[in-house]
Amino acid sequence: MDGDSSTTDTTQLGITGEYMTGGTYVLQTQDDDGDESFNDHEDGNGSKDYFREQDIYLPIANVARIMKNAIPQTGKIAKDAKECVQECVSEFISFMTSEASERCHQEKRKTINGEDILFAMSTLGFDMYVEPLKLYLQKFREAMKGEKGITPVTVSEGLGEELTDESFTGQLPAGLITADGQQQNVMVYTTSYQQIPGVQQIQFS
Amino acid sequence: MSGKNMEEKVEQATNSKNISLPVSRVRLIMKSSPDVSCINQDALFLTTKATELFVQHLALSSYKNGSGKETNTLSYSDLANVAEETETFQFLTDILPKKILARDYLKSLEEMEKDDENL
Repeated sequence: MDGDSSTTDTTQLGITGEYMTGGTYVLQTQDDDGDESFNDHEDGNGSKDYFREQDIYLPIANVARIMKNAIPQTGKIAKDAKECVQECVSEFISFMTSEASERCHQEKRKTINGEDILFAMSTLGFDMYVEPLKLYLQKFREAMKGEKGITPVTVSEGLGEELTDESFTGQLPAGLITADGQQQNVMVYTTSYQQIPGVQQIQFS
Repeated sequence: MSGKNMEEKVEQATNSKNISLPVSRVRLIMKSSPDVSCINQDALFLTTKATELFVQHLALSSYKNGSGKETNTLSYSDLANVAEETETFQFLTDILPKKILARDYLKSLEEMEKDDENL
């Protein structure tokens, strides 16, 4: 038996799943030897040698940093939890992308656009992200305009890191009071996809 | 404007706008989905940003839901539990199976074999 890799597939261990009740289990060694390299999870389903789409992950340092900033300051995160969220993230991205892609195909379009992504979020139970995302997109577009040399609009960073738990259960109001108390006029981004004049639609192929 | 040049501008803009995940890696993951041909700039940005929100959401939900109240630590089992209990995260249950220690498993296996012998 391969003792130091975790596997979800009990048949690889020569044992049937019948011995276990209440769902599937993963055998965990006493010391997790979590290797933090880029694609280190091929021993998850050891029989497969080829490179699976699920094996591409975002860097664990970035993921861990976001997690750390989300939980109370005194909290800690187990190493295998970080690795696990890394995998969940790839799953999330794939989940959204395939839903968006399907919509694209249905409408006979080849390029996944922002609206497809927002629609996918909403369909898959993440509609609490949609409003904040629209606002972020607005800021992003302003920043991109600025990069092109057009007079930049001053945008407050108030929305930056302040996602509290409430923001996941309700919707953010369209008019924001930013951190310095100024009322920021926010253009509401409508769901119909608009071509912004002067901004080239860039295709990532 | 070349595609490569544009990507640099996207990275610059996203750096100044508080994105902490690499956009190019996100694109790689998106592209690995079957039947995906082109992804436009907005879609890429939104996915990257949504991923940040997702990490925060998952981490916080798991931490609050879990046994971290005593240990103050977000553990794997907190994640597995929240995936099972929360509808939004149920798509993760396949990749978040609950774990048991090998020795506990082997122990229960031995006990079952003993039972079989006694019959």
